Amino acid sequence: MSETLSALLAGFGVALAPINLLWGFVGVTLGTAIGVLPGVGPALTVAMLLPLTTKIEPTGALIMFAGIYYGAMYGGSTTTILLNTPGESASIATALEGNRMAKCGRAGPALATAAIGSFVAGTIATVLLTLLAPIVVEFALKFGPTEYFALMVFAFVTVAAVLGASMVRGLTMLFLGLLFGLVGIDDQTGQMRFAFGVPELMDGVDVVVLAVGLFAVGEALYVAAYQSRQREEVEKMSGSLMMSREDWRRSWPAWLRATAIGFPFGTIPAGGAEIPTFLSYALEKKLSRKPEEFGHGAIEGVAGPEAANNASSTGVLVPLLTLGIPTSATAAILLAAFQNYGLQPGPLLFQTQTTLVWGLIASMYIGNILLLILNLPLIGLWVKVLKIPRPLLYGGILVFATLGAYSLHQSAVDLVTLYVFGLLGFMMRRWGFPVAPAVIGLILGPLAESQFRKALAISQGDPSVFLTHPISATLLALTAALVLVPWIYRVARERRARSAA
Amino acid sequence: MLTATRGGRVELIISLGVLALGIAASVLAFRLPEAGGYARIGPNFTPKVVSGGLVLLGVWLLAEVFTGGWRERVPDDAVERGEHDFHLGAFAWVSGGLLAQMALIHSAGFVLAAMVLYGCVARGFGSARLARDLGIGLLLGLAVFLFFVKFLNVNLPAGWLKPILGTAGL
Repeated sequence: MSETLSALLAGFGVALAPINLLWGFVGVTLGTAIGVLPGVGPALTVAMLLPLTTKIEPTGALIMFAGIYYGAMYGGSTTTILLNTPGESASIATALEGNRMAKCGRAGPALATAAIGSFVAGTIATVLLTLLAPIVVEFALKFGPTEYFALMVFAFVTVAAVLGASMVRGLTMLFLGLLFGLVGIDDQTGQMRFAFGVPELMDGVDVVVLAVGLFAVGEALYVAAYQSRQREEVEKMSGSLMMSREDWRRSWPAWLRATAIGFPFGTIPAGGAEIPTFLSYALEKKLSRKPEEFGHGAIEGVAGPEAANNASSTGVLVPLLTLGIPTSATAAILLAAFQNYGLQPGPLLFQTQTTLVWGLIASMYIGNILLLILNLPLIGLWVKVLKIPRPLLYGGILVFATLGAYSLHQSAVDLVTLYVFGLLGFMMRRWGFPVAPAVIGLILGPLAESQFRKALAISQGDPSVFLTHPISATLLALTAALVLVPWIYRVARERRARSAA
Repeated sequence: MLTATRGGRVELIISLGVLALGIAASVLAFRLPEAGGYARIGPNFTPKVVSGGLVLLGVWLLAEVFTGGWRERVPDDAVERGEHDFHLGAFAWVSGGLLAQMALIHSAGFVLAAMVLYGCVARGFGSARLARDLGIGLLLGLAVFLFFVKFLNVNLPAGWLKPILGTAGL
């Protein structure tokens, strides 16, 4: 405990250094901006900025990337409340009530409860991260390659198969990502795989090109083709930002309950903020003394989900930092950022890079305060950002997207690959294939392969180790259950429906 | 059997595509050398598992196509998705901008390629003010170029603007 405290204090020393403070400020500002802008998410932004890692020292860069990550959650609520087109799926619950409030002239209190709720949840979640991380690290130090491999399989399957609309399409994207991850030189034997002798493929498929292609180019093509001729209405920023006494009374229990729901969901591989925000929304509706207001602009329905998505996004950093397991697309790209510096998140990182890790965690306390200031007094600025016309916005997105891909190797070949991934992203969006499993497969796949081979090298080729080590066996059994139970349930239901008909 | 509808045909094509990709990858995977060392897990093992997985998933997708279509499918009707019908012009302008940028970046340089890209994308999203869009694209391209080249030391091609931009960049 006292060790944690002194590590955290040292971390504040790092995070408060002027240059890191500056990177943190850049990160949260950029994060809020891209959260506000429809069509740009944190995964895309961090991916576009990954080529910069060669120019910035690691602590500053990672503080900035983390700021982008949790800052985007704050900005997203502004768009949802004023525009009613949720920037990300985690905001759908807020859209239900927040946009109604804005339509009734209560945009101010809606934005205020979202921002303050995000701050409360983000800060409590950071405290929980501070307390929990050393415990998980202690536990994870006992993990060998066998356990890590099982853990990665578990993460793959939950992200690909359990979340999202269709198990088979999620798994297809996971395997496509894994296949992309295999392209290039095998680091253990030097064998070339799936590279067809093309020099550009020997280093493998770059995460920047894949992620930016799928998220930016694919998204731009899709929105242009199917949404660009629609009109959008931005609600006026109306009503004072001041919350009434009743608003406060109804908001704060919702913030706390939502934090309690959001954080644990973030720490398990349950794919981000979607589930906890809906759970929080449902809970608030049930507990509200005025359930009839739900659907017409109930403030709890904004306060809860917004706090839940912030708490869960911080929770995601627990498995990322302590185990090196990303459970969302953005987390996978953050992992790639660490790898660009030759750093591997996991328990050892807490021992070898103490100042970096704790500097990063400390920067989140500061970042949340900065975000509260950015998102309350300065809200007018973001409302202006929201009004940037779509043609100009997407022109800018694509200039930056192509810049990110091009600056990797100063090669037009990367621009061609970027467009091909863009077409793939367009098709995926149109036909309901999720993007996150592909990104996670690409980044985590090579790590899983290496753990698998290490585990078998230790056991001298005996594959039963995965079932005789208790932690690994438990995780694999859980994974199998997650896939098989819903499938058996569905087959049984379809059969019953058929025999009834 | 939904393959009579347009959506059903696309589902069939994508499913066959996944299957074909899996088979092609399997062929390549089985031609990789064993070279397992003493763990007996060579560089060909994971490729076999992954490509085999893709084959199975292709079969699974096909099975869904032939038993009533993909489950939890995205509606084919754009209105049902809250969108408008496929707008070919928009798609073509955005694609054209990206292709033009690829073609121009080494000759005309980053700034002018960015300007063309910006103008095309804005046009694709329905803007009718080409001159304004090209102007904004030029300014954005210049700002990015100067920031990256002067401040971050990332090389970007100056191209035709080299006489103006000086020795900065490639």
